[in-house]
Amino acid sequence: MRNLAPTKTNLLKLKEELSFAELGKDLLDQKRGILVTELLALEDQAVSYEKSVKEALAKAFETLEDAVLAIGKLQVLSLSSAVNMDASIKLGQRKVMGVSLPVVDTAFTDRAPYFSALGADFRVDLAVKGFREALGLMGRFAELKVSITRLATETHKTIRKVNALEKIAIPELEQTISHIAGRLEESERDIFVLMKMVKDRLAAAETEA
Amino acid sequence: MVYFAIGDEDTVLGFGMAGVAGRIAKNADDAKAALGEALSAPDIGIIIMTERCADLIRSEVDAYMFSVRFPLIVEIPDRTGSAPGRPGIRELANAAIGISV
Repeated sequence: MRNLAPTKTNLLKLKEELSFAELGKDLLDQKRGILVTELLALEDQAVSYEKSVKEALAKAFETLEDAVLAIGKLQVLSLSSAVNMDASIKLGQRKVMGVSLPVVDTAFTDRAPYFSALGADFRVDLAVKGFREALGLMGRFAELKVSITRLATETHKTIRKVNALEKIAIPELEQTISHIAGRLEESERDIFVLMKMVKDRLAAAETEA
Repeated sequence: MVYFAIGDEDTVLGFGMAGVAGRIAKNADDAKAALGEALSAPDIGIIIMTERCADLIRSEVDAYMFSVRFPLIVEIPDRTGSAPGRPGIRELANAAIGISV
């Protein structure tokens, strides 16, 4: 409870503050609802993407290891430098409740074949293919993952704000208001009694005179 | 915009095969330098980091994740797979909403 002088001005001020806090709480509550809906919508997609990215990477690493075992790391390295492939990304963003979420668009320009079949090994091609597939998933995965991380932080913050308003600020205001209102009523009664007494005494003085 | 890979030798080599430039980072200093380089390059849109590598400079990565818009950082498991006990996306989301399944 706040330590304020029990005056009418303070009471009015506090009442205004309370309605403002309640409005804020309602808005934040709505924001929380929207964020949670968005988060849940993205979550399922992201989880399935996470799984497929992991699988694609595991497969790619396996094929890379095969290639390295077959022809040696140095050779793989020199062959990989001949791979002529660009992955270009277009980045955009959308906003949900003031949180900016990325939107990623990946496009590949592939200029195969990269190297002569002589001296190369088919496992190198498999590895290239594997990593290309993994990279193809990576754009969307990055988008989802970053979105979820940001949404999760924002949701967490919003929930804390709602709780702080609901559990601390608003009860405190209500308590202070009822206290001040009680004090004001009390002093009103005091004055009423006082006035009565004064009136009685005045009447008594008049009859005596 | 292009990708950029930071991680161990195999990861960088692998993504190099798909046309992604990269830097090998073996320790925290390497990783920090590589991240700084990637962040200052204007045409890099997404940074692919191995989880192991990101864990070395966790505070920098996290600070970056929430503050700046681009480039994005995405963490991937390296060839040995994800470290056990690492929270997945679902855990992250559920922790934020405050439910446990």
